[in-house]
Amino acid sequence: MKATIGLEIHVHLLTDSKLFCSCRTSLMGKEPNENTCPICLGFPGSKPKANKRAIDHGIVLAKALSCSLVPEIRFSRKNYFYPDMPKNFQITQYEVPLAMNGYVMLGNRKIRIRRVHLEEDPAKLIHVGGDITTARYNHIDYNRAGIPLVEIVTEPDLEDTKEARLFLEKLSVILDHLGVYDPTTEGAIRVDANVSIDGGQRVEVKNITGFRNVEKALNYEVVRQKSMANMGIDVSRETRHFDAESGTTSSLRKKETEDDYGYIIEPDLVKIKLHSEWVDKLTESMPELPDHRIERFIEQYSIGRFQAGIIVNTGLQLSLFYEECCNLYKDPKIVVNWIVTYLLKSLNYERLNIKESKVKPETFVELLKLIDEGVISERTAKELIKEYTVSGESPRKIVKEKNLSLMSEDELHKVVSEVIEENPKAVNDYQSGHVKAAEYLIGQVLRKTRARAAVDTVRKLITDMMESKPR
Amino acid sequence: MTTIEKAHLINEKYKAFNFIAEALEGGEGLLSGVAVSVKDNVCVNGMQSTAGSKILEGYIPPFDATVVAKCRAEGAGILGKTTQDEFGFGTFNVNTGYGVPLNPHDPERSTGGSSGGAAVVTAVADFPHLAIAESTGGSISCPASFCGVVGITPTYGRTSRWGLIDYANSLDKIGCMGKTVREAALLLTVISGPDKYDSTVLHEPTQDYTSYADGCAEGLKIGVPEEYFGEGVDTGVTEKVWTGIKTLESEGATVTEVSMPFTKHSLSSYYIIAMAEASTNLAKLCGLRYGLHMPLEGNFDEYFSEVRTLGFGEEAKRRIILGTFTRMAGYRDAYYLKALKVRTKVIEDFKRAFKHVDVLAAPTMPVVAPKFSEIAELEPIQHYMMDILTVAPNLAGVPMISVPCGEHLGMPVGLHLMTDHLEEGKLVKAASAVEGAR
Ligand SMILES: [Zn+2]
Repeated sequence: MKATIGLEIHVHLLTDSKLFCSCRTSLMGKEPNENTCPICLGFPGSKPKANKRAIDHGIVLAKALSCSLVPEIRFSRKNYFYPDMPKNFQITQYEVPLAMNGYVMLGNRKIRIRRVHLEEDPAKLIHVGGDITTARYNHIDYNRAGIPLVEIVTEPDLEDTKEARLFLEKLSVILDHLGVYDPTTEGAIRVDANVSIDGGQRVEVKNITGFRNVEKALNYEVVRQKSMANMGIDVSRETRHFDAESGTTSSLRKKETEDDYGYIIEPDLVKIKLHSEWVDKLTESMPELPDHRIERFIEQYSIGRFQAGIIVNTGLQLSLFYEECCNLYKDPKIVVNWIVTYLLKSLNYERLNIKESKVKPETFVELLKLIDEGVISERTAKELIKEYTVSGESPRKIVKEKNLSLMSEDELHKVVSEVIEENPKAVNDYQSGHVKAAEYLIGQVLRKTRARAAVDTVRKLITDMMESKPR
Repeated sequence: MTTIEKAHLINEKYKAFNFIAEALEGGEGLLSGVAVSVKDNVCVNGMQSTAGSKILEGYIPPFDATVVAKCRAEGAGILGKTTQDEFGFGTFNVNTGYGVPLNPHDPERSTGGSSGGAAVVTAVADFPHLAIAESTGGSISCPASFCGVVGITPTYGRTSRWGLIDYANSLDKIGCMGKTVREAALLLTVISGPDKYDSTVLHEPTQDYTSYADGCAEGLKIGVPEEYFGEGVDTGVTEKVWTGIKTLESEGATVTEVSMPFTKHSLSSYYIIAMAEASTNLAKLCGLRYGLHMPLEGNFDEYFSEVRTLGFGEEAKRRIILGTFTRMAGYRDAYYLKALKVRTKVIEDFKRAFKHVDVLAAPTMPVVAPKFSEIAELEPIQHYMMDILTVAPNLAGVPMISVPCGEHLGMPVGLHLMTDHLEEGKLVKAASAVEGAR
């Protein structure tokens, strides 16, 4: 049985002010309902005014998704009663969206984009003492009301959960490269997913926050629908709610017909002509897109496609970090190895992204240079990177303070002698032809020196000493 | 007696106010010493503004409408909020949440609506007074005609709508009333012009419209549309209107007949668009953030249904239901979208006419102000039919003025003059010629 998945993705656009008023969008350190004004609270007498910056972002995104822009945009009112909506209608785009008919390539697969449009976010409901179905009452926080959203609607071209995840990851990197959203904001991306399996009715799972949850929700929904079909039960047309905690979906309401929102043209906002001067200017200054950047990295830095993909797809900040490191360090291949193999692992472990962390190109390449200069061993560097990821301290400084630099020949000689003294059995084994026993002894030396010795140097010292040691 | 005390007297006699200021402030400027009354649907900072509806009882806007701010900047004092049909839904000012205003010429008759209170105060004030009124489909012209004052409805977008409690946003226009053409033109001069708070406002700078009030109609081409003198227009009214038109001729204007074939479709187009927009505008009124509140009981749906059941009058409910119907899937194409198309045809009618004439002249209302007893007999559709002469220019967004042109049955008759978009100057000129000769 084949699944058919279509997504509606709502993204918070990164602007200073809301879509139709001058309230700030940043919620950092804000009390509930602090970022509000008569417009975003829908006070009688107030009128919306469109934020050009949000339209700029929408245009750039539509271009990046290979959509055709409409010649002029209009806003519409989507009418329904819900307590999170200050006006009991949402200003969105209906008849004439910003852009249509685009696509995103996933390898050779083309995922079509039906439309891209702008709209205002409703307020945030805080369900008190339960969830959406059980809470006794709600608090409403209008700080979010009016924050600009772009909605991206795909055709039902996604064939399974994995593809849906890959699509969202790619979309997120595109958004990130364009600088139109902040991936670190909670709820910056919300998804409604339409899922069906062959012949079955379409089920809509509403309001899923975060990629991991989308994957969970889709997995659950596909399995649920398949097992129903296997049992001969018809899947009915409905809207379902995803519960992130249990990873399950539950029915919100049956859906016999399309929702009827009684759209009208928003009469308080005029038509906005997307004249070519405006669009061309934005297109010319459009940032490099991820697919292009991967190709350039392969070409310019002679690195592999896999590694280039990891750097670019992790996010714009890492790409910029990598390029900056390459400016400061001679070998881009070594840089990419250290980033992909060690730095990312350490960041993930600390649940940090490169932007939030204190890791900086100048200090990161210092670490690589310390190895080249013979100041520390690679192994020390691998250990050091963990502490560095958290503190962002200059590695040279850490090495000095913690005395991590390689031991002098004399010091090392002393340690090796001790190890040989303390392990007569291993020495004996080696001398009887079990060459592998040397590895054990090397390990002991590194342990004692806390890796302040280069492996090759230690190996040479040990073999030399044992060769010369009388049996 | 202070102006405020006089306002209270007017209110006792005619029920013209929903709210009267405690004191009249004022300063220097074009409106120095003038008391400006404000239709209840235009927000005044700190003054309860209900648009005549119970559901907005207690709503005190934290901002001034742009037109109010402009009046204050020119030294006017804000006198209070004048009565109106709830949200502007009516022709006779009987659909109100706070009492019905009475016509000063005959208290058994309607003031006309929906800016009824504004017309009453304009007619009876014996102190320097001007009124801010508002029209969606004729709400300035109608009461001006019934009460015998001058009412100007400017071009759509000539005045900012910031601070106006919406009826139908694509039709709403804030305008003004005065005892004379010159006075009304003065207030128009003050309240017109661009405004960054309203996206739909026109960017052309304002003019001194009083300079056009020279009582001279020399060179003006007047068109008389035959469709505006058809069935249902009282012959007594027609007679007075023709007297007005003849005056224009004797003051130097030339008069020709014109045809406006889409006039008959304008009423249905107007009511569909107006109700569709109104039904969405009123959705926000649900007892959560402002206006009428009730003890919180039941879920959201139950709560807001209760608030809306109690808060809205019958006509508001009718328009919400009709307006919602016209924009629902399956009906949207046949009603709302078709009405938008008809609207462009009506605009073409006017554009075509204004290629040949400067000013169109017609009766403002088909009758003089009716008695309340007569109004009670009318079906809703007959109420709507009363707007037959005013909705077309309102739909087209062209400016219009109602100027008194005589009396019939002892009640004032209004001559309706209309010009092309942004030609308020010509409007004032022609009206002043009618007024001067009276
Ligand atoms: Zn705001």
